[in-house]
Amino acid sequence: MMRARSGWREAARKAAALLPYLAAVAAVFIALAPVYWLLTISLKREVDQFAYPPQWIGFTATLEHYRDAFAGGSFAAYFENSVLLAAISTIAALAIGVPAAYGLARFEWPRQWDHRIADWILSTRMLPPIVTIVPLFLMLRQARLLNSLIGLAIVYTGFNLPFVVWMMRGFFEEVPKEIEEAAMLDGESRSGALLRIVLPLVRPGLAATAVFCLVVAWNEFLFALILTQTEAAMTLPVGIASRVTQYEIKWGAMSAAGVVAMIPVLVFAAAAQKYLVRGLSLGAVKG
Amino acid sequence: MLELTGITKRFGAREAVCAVSLSACAGEFVVLLGPSGCGKTTLMRIIAGLETPDEGTIRLCEQDITRRDPRERDIAMVFQSYALYPHMTIDQNIGYPLRVRKRPAAEIEAAVKNVAARLGLSGLLANLPRQLSGGERQRVALARAIIRRPKAFLMDEPLSNLDARLRVEMRAELKHLQHELKIVTIYVTHDQAEAMTLAHRIAVMRDGKIQQYDTPANVYHRPVNTFVAQFVGSPSMNLIPHGSVILGVRPEDVQLSASAQTDASPGRIYVTEEMGNETIVVVRDGSSQITARCPAGARFEFDSPVWYRFKPGKVHRFDSSGTRIQE
Amino acid sequence: MNRRRIPEGFPWVLPSLLVLLALSIYPLIYSVKLAAADRGNFTRLFTDRLFLTASIQTIVLTIAALAIEFFLGLALALLVDSLARGRMFFRTALLIPMLLPPVVAAVAWRLIYNPQFGVLNGTLRWLGFHTAHLTWTSGESSALASVILVDVWEWTPFLFLLLSAGLQAIPPEPLEAARVDGAGAWRIFRDVTLPLLKPTIVLALLLRAMDLVRIFDQIFILTQGGPGTATETVSLYIYRTAFRFSNFGYAAAMSFVLLAATMLFSRGLLRAMRAR
Repeated sequence: MMRARSGWREAARKAAALLPYLAAVAAVFIALAPVYWLLTISLKREVDQFAYPPQWIGFTATLEHYRDAFAGGSFAAYFENSVLLAAISTIAALAIGVPAAYGLARFEWPRQWDHRIADWILSTRMLPPIVTIVPLFLMLRQARLLNSLIGLAIVYTGFNLPFVVWMMRGFFEEVPKEIEEAAMLDGESRSGALLRIVLPLVRPGLAATAVFCLVVAWNEFLFALILTQTEAAMTLPVGIASRVTQYEIKWGAMSAAGVVAMIPVLVFAAAAQKYLVRGLSLGAVKG
Repeated sequence: MLELTGITKRFGAREAVCAVSLSACAGEFVVLLGPSGCGKTTLMRIIAGLETPDEGTIRLCEQDITRRDPRERDIAMVFQSYALYPHMTIDQNIGYPLRVRKRPAAEIEAAVKNVAARLGLSGLLANLPRQLSGGERQRVALARAIIRRPKAFLMDEPLSNLDARLRVEMRAELKHLQHELKIVTIYVTHDQAEAMTLAHRIAVMRDGKIQQYDTPANVYHRPVNTFVAQFVGSPSMNLIPHGSVILGVRPEDVQLSASAQTDASPGRIYVTEEMGNETIVVVRDGSSQITARCPAGARFEFDSPVWYRFKPGKVHRFDSSGTRIQE
Repeated sequence: MNRRRIPEGFPWVLPSLLVLLALSIYPLIYSVKLAAADRGNFTRLFTDRLFLTASIQTIVLTIAALAIEFFLGLALALLVDSLARGRMFFRTALLIPMLLPPVVAAVAWRLIYNPQFGVLNGTLRWLGFHTAHLTWTSGESSALASVILVDVWEWTPFLFLLLSAGLQAIPPEPLEAARVDGAGAWRIFRDVTLPLLKPTIVLALLLRAMDLVRIFDQIFILTQGGPGTATETVSLYIYRTAFRFSNFGYAAAMSFVLLAATMLFSRGLLRAMRAR
């Protein structure tokens, strides 16, 4: 009798221990279901896309929408624009921002000017894009840079720059000052020590920062929407958005474009996983 | 050889180093000794060129180097944290100063081999710093400093991160190495035993000023003031106010006796500490405490009465401001 | 004599400062000029019904989404933190919504929400529910809630991620001490975990709030502010004013209201970061 009860209790305890896992699995299901649904739509024949009851599995797969969107359609051009834009703006932001981060992390500044400058730089990042976009639109129009990748690349560089400075400052501060001083005593100049000793040491941080800039530029929508209105300069998000707002929506091709648009982001995020927290919290939380 | 004149460095309103002048002869081993915050590390960083002095000049081998970049000074430094390059192998770490100077690869390789053999690092050359023990890292830092035969060595508490036994071992090795190389060395420490054992001359510092700059023997036997007297020697010198002067007596110059003696004062045993080779006895007399160094066999009970006296001729006298009174 | 010297690090920082002056500060000044060109721009703010609606809806959306995302994020963080195995897997999988391009996420949700052929109503009907009245983003009364739901789906991971990191950063000793002192799970959470987590909570809430008041992408794709004005937000209204009706001055004036709100948050944010 006693034994039977304790056996039952044991089973109950085991079941209770499983509950958290069930909850976590449910959360993952909710997080991933929309993504999965998008994927199935991109792979379904048009007749199956909106069939009732909804087909979660076991439909006939086809790649025709991908061919539609990229081989025949204009998404290939948008994709190329997005790649170029992300690459150019990331390189530019790093080239300008990394020295600034180093300067703030390493030199003596009178009266805490390093903190003040860093805060000011960060505060520009907090400007809502919609606040600066009207003047930027007019400025670029004046400079005849509207509807050009260069114009948008300049804007993205400025957009990512505060982030680069703030992140890299944290990484530079983690490198012991003595290592650099040792290099200078060993015969390096300041920039030699930065190039040959410090940068190799912060390489993981540098890579993480680059990944974050790439993702931001890749995902960005508002600036791209307003500053590139011609087919030739459109980015992937704007291309997708322009199809959604049309009357007749080609859901298959659009889903295919969407799936393709999220692949690089997921790959990059996996690469920089260790630094996700730090990047998303602007370096305030070390993860 | 190395000559500092009137070096002053301010951080904001605080004077970290004030008007320090100091010279070291060729091949001399100079120790900067003092409590933390006394300015000894700042002074060393000024010599290295990592800080610029607000006033004063530094001359090395007859040349004014006050405004030169660190790399143009030809000075090597061993850091407290060793500051090894974590992404380079031991081999690359040691050879780095020569690589920066673009020496031929064959020469670098030979020099690295030579130095590594000398410091017992030959088997570790392919490793990364993090794979090494503390003592090994310490030796790599030394190897990196000596490989290029600099004009001067700077060492910032290089032994403080080692455990006690290794520290004593490395101390001896360091002394011998410096003797062989005959390169002027400035060594910063707060450990008076290190200072006594290593230095040709000790500069005792306090609040950014040099208190006394002299041989270990003179610093020990003729301290210029009560600060130096108490900072050097362990256990510390006893300081006993006596009218308008302060008497200073080293523990080894205090004699104890269990029975009443003429010319001895009475006290009570506060505590005894047996060290094996000797016994440290603390005696209480009214409000003051006197520490005595006794032979190993000495036995006293807590609170038992005891008589103490000072060896004649071994009593130092300081005036009320703490300055030594010359006989 | 050294006091007047330009700091050694200044040349390193200068290019960044110039770029930011050109791309952030100059536009801001330009914007002031645009708005101030016609005094009517500012007086109109107080009488513009639509601006008021958009502001209220932005506030409602911000508060509601922030509250839900915070509690869900904290619950998920605690849940995943308590798991003995698979923590890494759950942590990674739960992050995915936030990483997607917002436009793509919104497209996925349009496929889900569509009242006629969307998978949500389809599945509910298949399970035997009546779905005729479930109009989601196309119903005037349900549109804002539906938009909030998408934001919750997309950004709860952000709070989850930061709070998870915060939980992991709590040293085990205080928790163990509390256990030895006899505190139960709830007491430990309330007396030790929560106070130690507070800086992270503040930081996460501020960061999220700053993004919520400027929300644009998802709504642009999902509803374009409709039906009617049911999901109109300040960002969207500014966009429309400037780029559909070419009233740049009034758009600039409105953007300063948004800027003021953001500055309030960013001040708190900087202070929270400094406190760490």
